[in-house]
Amino acid sequence: MATCSVPLEVTRIAEDIKSMRIRGAGRIARAAARALEIAAEKFEGESIEDFINYIKHVAQILVSTRPTAVSLPNAVAYVTSVIDKISRMDNINEAKKIIIGRAREFIEYSLKATDKIGEIGSRRIEDGDVILTHCNSSAALSVIIHAFKQGKRVKVYATETRPKFQGHITAKTLLREGIDVTLIPDSAVRLVMKNVDKVVVGADTIAANGAVINKVGTSQIALAAHEARVRVFVAAETYKFSPATVVGELVTIEERSPLEVVDEDFLKENKGIEVRNPAFDVTPPEYIDAIITELGIIPPQAAILILKDMFGWAIKDYYQYTTIGCEMEEI
Amino acid sequence: MKFEVEKLIDDVALKVGYGEIMGSTESVEYVLDRMKHIISIAEDKGELVRYVTTLIDKSIKARPTSAMLINSSREILIKLNELLDKGIAVAELKTELSKVIEDIILKAKMATDKAARIASHRIVDGDHIMTISYSKTVLKTLDYALMDGKRIKVTILESRPGGEGVIVARILSKKNIPTTLIVDSAARYFMKNVSKVVMGAEAIAVNGAVINKVGSSILALNAYEARVRVFVVAGIHKFSLETVFGELVDIPTAREEVLLPPDKRREIGENVKVYIPLVDVTPPEYIDAIITDRGVIAPQAVPFLLKEVYGTLPPKLPEVKDLIRQALSKI
Repeated sequence: MATCSVPLEVTRIAEDIKSMRIRGAGRIARAAARALEIAAEKFEGESIEDFINYIKHVAQILVSTRPTAVSLPNAVAYVTSVIDKISRMDNINEAKKIIIGRAREFIEYSLKATDKIGEIGSRRIEDGDVILTHCNSSAALSVIIHAFKQGKRVKVYATETRPKFQGHITAKTLLREGIDVTLIPDSAVRLVMKNVDKVVVGADTIAANGAVINKVGTSQIALAAHEARVRVFVAAETYKFSPATVVGELVTIEERSPLEVVDEDFLKENKGIEVRNPAFDVTPPEYIDAIITELGIIPPQAAILILKDMFGWAIKDYYQYTTIGCEMEEI
Repeated sequence: MKFEVEKLIDDVALKVGYGEIMGSTESVEYVLDRMKHIISIAEDKGELVRYVTTLIDKSIKARPTSAMLINSSREILIKLNELLDKGIAVAELKTELSKVIEDIILKAKMATDKAARIASHRIVDGDHIMTISYSKTVLKTLDYALMDGKRIKVTILESRPGGEGVIVARILSKKNIPTTLIVDSAARYFMKNVSKVVMGAEAIAVNGAVINKVGSSILALNAYEARVRVFVVAGIHKFSLETVFGELVDIPTAREEVLLPPDKRREIGENVKVYIPLVDVTPPEYIDAIITDRGVIAPQAVPFLLKEVYGTLPPKLPEVKDLIRQALSKI
């Protein structure tokens, strides 16, 4: 196998995903596709075999950056699914073009999907609604912004979202559109729930049973909403559905550095204290009223429908060029 | 009123107003301590009455949810009125009133201690306890459990706004209790590892609802969902008699800077609103037991306990504002 030197720009994207300079499941997916596009453009060899190995190598680097968001391997798998086709080709430039085309196709699809979700989801928002959102999700914001642009007067509660305060970005984005935003501490979600009409959040991964993996805190917001009979909508592109969960794979919940919660001095002075920082949690389908995808609105329990339509049952093949799922059994 | 006394009183009010002093018990102890001080510097009866009533009035306005503050104030004012009726000299009045205050402090300490002792019996060897914010009563409960040789683990929520959980983690760690610090959003994620939730109270309403640091109610809801037992530990002085007459406890809020420093506001957008509630209300159905110095009761049995302590229900007790008016009319 030829040594693959990975272009600096690609390594940088991988680093940015890892360090969360690039965050949000949709943005991560597009960044990964873009990285593959760049990698293909910059490939200087002549051999198809080398090119394939090189692309597989880049794919693995990208997939290993964050363990939870399935949009990442899904995006990578979307692009690399043409590898079989490439392997039968002999013109390297044609092969590169196919990968580049496939990556661009994904990015375009992804951007359109977010917009489409906004369009579909906004129909569920009524004039005067008070909406609560958590963290910073482009899909969820798309729903709120679409509704607002249709002339619906909405008010938004945005949780500050510890430890990294993504709620500030949400507030900033909504304010720029002219939407009324109130920031609250995460601990206040149950208290404000009595004033809320709808909860709209995004998703990092949706499992085969309709469980939603999203920013930690989402599940207790959904629980508080369920208790108060407030509807919970999850806005998510279809590439956030996890095919691996169909074959029983568990979704790994990433635990991030304690330094996001406390500073280094605190850790040094308090060696006995364990600071745990899970980035995500799992919201069971029974607390979710509907998942809004670019293909339409589905109850969470119908997640399998999306998965089957998208990936068929050939999930084993789907992940063959990424690190996860490589030892998957045929079902 | 002398300027320096006025300043002292305003300073006390600022500190008890959910600001610098963490626990609800400690904040009342602080007010009472300062009260003793201003009694000692009063030059005549008129000054004494004005000082004491102003301090009580401003402190209650600063921390209207503190049942202990209201109950203690009532006791002091009743005694003050009695002493004024006797027509004793100012020196004697000062001594007598200081004695009353010391008595109240001591009684509260003993009640807290007794409640903690009883609560510690509900903790068993190997328990993993989740708690929120800073509560002297909870810390004492854990001390007693440790003293009895029970091995316990504690998970403490960061407890924004305020972040008292970070300080509590340090205190627990110094006691050699294996301690885990998590963000407030992660309470549901970790609830499955926990065997009990133990928390203190700012006030307990007559229906058994518990007013405590914001986030307590979502913590209790999470516990309820996971069938983890919730215990509230509080001396009888934390019971809010006013709620017998249907008075709602107002939810006090923190200053905006607690959540959003001015530079952050500029970055997000000047129009951003901030809502920072400091306490919330946990309904009785999520609380397994309230553990008081008089024993363990179901939250729904609060009226029973009040009747036992005060003889009648509703208790025949004068209101603080009437007592203040009475006292002022006597000078």
